[in-house]
This record gives sequence, C-alpha cells and structure tokens, in this order.
Amino acid sequence: MTNAITLQEHHLPGSSLEEKFDVALAWGFDGIELRSRGDFHFASRLPELRRARDAGVIMPTACVEMSHFIGAFDAELREDAITQLASQLSVMAELGGVGVMTPGSYGMFSRRLPPFEPPRSPESDHRILVDALGRLGEHAEREGVELFLEPLNRYEDYLVNTLSGAAALIVEIGSPAVLIVADTYHMNIEEADPAGALLEVAPHIGHLQASDSNRLEPGAGHLDWALFGATVAAIGYKRSIAIESRLSGEAATVLPTVPPLLRRYL
Amino acid sequence: MSAIKPSAARVLLRNWRGSYTVPAGGLYPHQWSWDSAFIAVGLRHLSPRRAQLELDTILSAQWEDGRLPQIVFHSGRDDGYSPGASFWHSEQIPGAAPVATAGLIQPPTHALAALLVHEADPAESQRRRFLERAYPRLVRWHDYLRNRRGGRGGLARIVHPWESGMDNSPFWDACLQAMTETYTALIPRPDLLHADADHRPSDGEYGKYLYFAARYRDHGCDDADESFPFQFEDPAFNGLWARSELALATIATLVAADPLPHRLEACRITEALETLWSTERGCYVARDILSGTLQQYRTVAGLVPLLLPGIRHTRELLDLVRGPHFRLGEVAMVPSHDLTAVTFDPSRYWRGPSWFNTAWLIAEALYERGFTTEAEQLSRGMENAALEHDFPEYLDPHSFAPRGTTRFSWTAALALDASTRIGAPR
Repeated sequence: MTNAITLQEHHLPGSSLEEKFDVALAWGFDGIELRSRGDFHFASRLPELRRARDAGVIMPTACVEMSHFIGAFDAELREDAITQLASQLSVMAELGGVGVMTPGSYGMFSRRLPPFEPPRSPESDHRILVDALGRLGEHAEREGVELFLEPLNRYEDYLVNTLSGAAALIVEIGSPAVLIVADTYHMNIEEADPAGALLEVAPHIGHLQASDSNRLEPGAGHLDWALFGATVAAIGYKRSIAIESRLSGEAATVLPTVPPLLRRYL
Repeated sequence: MSAIKPSAARVLLRNWRGSYTVPAGGLYPHQWSWDSAFIAVGLRHLSPRRAQLELDTILSAQWEDGRLPQIVFHSGRDDGYSPGASFWHSEQIPGAAPVATAGLIQPPTHALAALLVHEADPAESQRRRFLERAYPRLVRWHDYLRNRRGGRGGLARIVHPWESGMDNSPFWDACLQAMTETYTALIPRPDLLHADADHRPSDGEYGKYLYFAARYRDHGCDDADESFPFQFEDPAFNGLWARSELALATIATLVAADPLPHRLEACRITEALETLWSTERGCYVARDILSGTLQQYRTVAGLVPLLLPGIRHTRELLDLVRGPHFRLGEVAMVPSHDLTAVTFDPSRYWRGPSWFNTAWLIAEALYERGFTTEAEQLSRGMENAALEHDFPEYLDPHSFAPRGTTRFSWTAALALDASTRIGAPR
C-alpha cells in the first residue's frame, strides 16, 4: 500500500466537499487536505465537514490558514492562535482525522530581510514556542489527534526553519501528539541534504507536504522525486502526502499529472 | 517494492556526502573508485539522478592521462584514512585532477555501472545528457589502461595490491614475502579504530603496501618505472575491463558513436585472459609479470571472467564455484579464497571472507548464462545476510558471521540491486 496523495481543497472546483472529492478522485488523488481558517470558521464548517465525512470524503489533515500564529509577537494574537488551533484539533478529532498543522509564524519576520534583528530575544522565542506547543500537545493528546509543526524557509519565518530545529523543540516538549510536517519546498531551501535530514528526524515525522523547488506542483520544478520516494520508504512513512503548491497552469491540466509522477516512485 | 529497499536506502542516504557516497561512515571517509561504481548500481533504484551524480563525481576526478584515481579526497579532511591526501600530494603531480586524489587506480567497473545507471531511467539519463558526458571520459579511462598499463600480453597490469581491490589476496604473497623494502616512516592505522585488527591487513603488510605506494608516487605516478617491484596481471581486473568494454560498446551505440572498437577490444582482452588460465588450479590466476610466474591460488578473482560470454573455460569455472573449493549454495555467498587452501582464513579480508561485490558479479554471470536458480539463490543469500547483519562489509563463509564494518554502502547497493533484478519473483 503506497501513501495516499491528497490535494488542498482550494484547488478543487465544486460547490461542496463531496463534489470536490469527486474531482480529486478523477484527477488521481486519494483525498483532500482541508484549509482551516481562524475566527472559529473551521468549527463553523462542522455540519459541512460531518456530511462530507459521512459521504466518504477522505480528508485526514488540515492546514491552518490564518494571519497570525503561535509565535506571534503580540501576546493576544498568540493566545488566539492557540485557541483557534485547539478548536481546529477538536474539529479534526470529531471528523476522525489525523491532525492539523501550523508554522511557528508566517510572514511576520525574516532574519534575511531588514531590519534583520527581531524585536524579541531568542530565549523568549523559545519559551513561547515551547509553551504553545506544550499546551496544544496536551490538547491534541486528549482529543486523540496530532499537531504538526511546519518548518518554513528563512524568508517566510525565522522561528523554526529546519527539521532538526523542529525536532529539538518536539523532543523538549515530550508530547507524542506533536510531530513535524516536512514540506519539500521549504526543505529544498533550508536543508543541505533533504533526504538525510528527513532520515535524521524520521521518528518525528507526522505529515508530508509536496511541492517542487519553485513551489509549483511536483514535476514543475527540479526536485528529485525518485529520491523523495526512496526517502519516504526509508523513513517508513505510510501516511498521506499533501500537495500544497502554486500551480504552473490550469488546475485541471496540471494537477492530474502529479499523482502518476509521485506514485512512480512511492 | 523490494523488502530490502527501505533498509538499503537508509544506509545509502546516510552515507551520501552531497555528490558522492562514502563506502562506510567511519572506516572509509572518502570516495573510492570501484566502490562508487558498485554504489551507483544500487543508487539507481533510489534515484537515477543521484546515481548519475555519483558517477559524474568520480569521472570528474579523472587525471589528464585518463586514469580514474583509487580515492578522491573531496572533504579536505586528512585525518580519517591512511594514506591520505597529504601522503599523495597529487597537486604536485602534473596532470592530476583539480581535487586531491590518490595516484593508484582500481578495477574498471565504471562503464558497466554507467550503462546500468542509464538503463534505470533512460529518459532522465538522456535529459541530463549523462551518457554523452560519461562516454568520452570512460573511453579515456580505458585508453589509459591500454596505453599506460598494457603489456605485450595485451592485459593491463596493476602496480599495487590495492589496485586489484582485493588488497591481501594470496596472489601477492610471494612478491610481498620476497621483498625486503618497507615504508620506514610511521604507519598510521586509523582503520583500526573502526575494525577488528584481526580482520584487517597486518602492520607488516601495510608497511609494504606503503612502500609501493610511495615509490609509485615518487616516480610521478608516470607508469614508467620499469623496475617497479610489483607488477601483476589480475584476472578480475582484466575481466572487468573486458566486461566494461562490452558495456562501452552498448553506450557507444546509444550516443551514436562506433561500438565496433569496443567489441574488438573486449574480444582482445578476453582472448588475452587465457594466458592467466591455470590448468593446475582449474581457474584464472594472477601473473607476476617480473618473474613470469602464475600465482597458483584459487580466488574469487579467478571466477570473475565468468562475466565474459567469450571465455573458453566456462564449464570449468562453473564446476569450480559449485565444487568443494567455493561450495556455492552451501556457504555464505562466494568465498574470496579456496575453502580448502592452507592460506584460507575465514575472517581476514580477501583471504577467505565472502564479499557482496564479488557475489553480485558471480550472480550476474550466473543469471546471464541462464543459471537463474543459482543466481536467485545467491541473490537471496546476499539480501538475507545484508538485512540480518546491518549491511556488513563481508562475511565468514562458514559461520555466516559479519566481519569488518557495517552499513557498508556497496553491500546495501548490490544487495538491493540483486534482490530487485535477480532475486525478484518473475
């Protein structure tokens, strides 16, 4: 049994998740990765999500879609991010899903762009992440789902950029419900040896997202998908692989090329 | 998917160093020439692109005279292996590669590997112009063997036990025992930090090895030292050369070059190999060129010509590998030396232990000649031993116990390749 390949819901045409799922299947995918917005919007979708689940829609994971995150500089926004994620984890638990993913932050600060030095000390950054991930880990454990921490590349975030950085936090927290989501696009920038890096943190990998070197759909850039497939086998990863990409052309044209490409190597 | 693939992949991914694979994490910290070729054969099942890069990298270290060096010291580190870059000082030798290398060579397995790597994904190979890039370098490599190492008999000579890839084979015993010279400087042995001294060459052997290497180096690695005291024709080295010429003929066709010279060359070398046939031992043996004597030992090197379709003694070699001297199917893989010889030692490197690269070569030969049951059995033996003992460097033929280091790259690569192609149910 090879890994299921899922596609984020916003790429799929259709007025309901059931319709979107039919399109996903027609394009060769196995399921949908949900996008979970803030302000309890995701929880408000519960009737729609329950109906889709009951109709057999496969939707194991949710990717957070908010303007602020658990590492926000503003304390209120941080707390709200934790509240929203906790709610989203509960929704996924009710749906029988696997988990929800979040970065430390996104678009808030980059050490590669002016003013280069963030307004908070590394010690505070660390304390804030450990606190948030620890609380959410406890919540996820209670709900029987998982939180996936996503390292982003250096231009999009400064808090957690590498798989080893994420793994160190997770080891420190010690919750079995906090794992890493590894995204091939970010790894291509941050990891000198992406395959070796995945192998090093293999026990902590809970989810994978695939997009190419240019953040377009797999096959539109220059990543080595054969090596990716071999690495997925090497780390013993059996779960779903989600396509989180920009697209190089019309969705209906370019996305159906993705599952055959990945399955060739998985 | 082959059951061995995830485990083999873990070894090969861990031993990758950005553009090449080290033979093993601790014991061998650089890129070795024939290791790389064997490793590429397995890497092609993980990533054809990475397998191409592995070969591109060793080919990029080619000297102007065409040689592919035994070791490429990419890392700039010189503390993990002796003799290292500071012994060779290849930067002081005209025509050496831009990167630090050893001056010696190893068996020419590269064209064979290049063809197999191409065949793993011809479209990706073509897109990256892999064969167009590799072919001229492989031709120059074989030219070096013919022009600089070739003798009157038509075979290439090796000038160091290391060049055979089978460092302490009994083939070299008489020569080493007769020599009085030894390397007089301190002999560092970082290898003994990673492996049992009983399984490695002794200090006495190492002193003589370093004497040969230093003398070759001090003559500018120019192959013109006529009284050089170690000159042998080895059956595995030349058998692999002939086999690689056959591969080069196929590659030539693929890149729109003329395959005929390579076919003729393969025939010529195959014919010349007959001068190494020992009627006394019923196998091919090495010849000491200086004394003119055949070294009367049955070793796995003498079985390697089985890879050549034109060889005259196929039946005798098959009988030999199945008989009491190598006991195919009854002991671990194929022992490196005659199980009945007084010189046999089940633990010491190339004097008895069974290695995965030679097992792969014999499995290939058996498979191609239609002895698929024996080839599959040998392939399964490789896979089982590799998995059970964490990809050991070599095995005790009798006890099947692992020897040397573990997580050995060519063990992973070749067990994966054999199980994927030969051992897989069809």
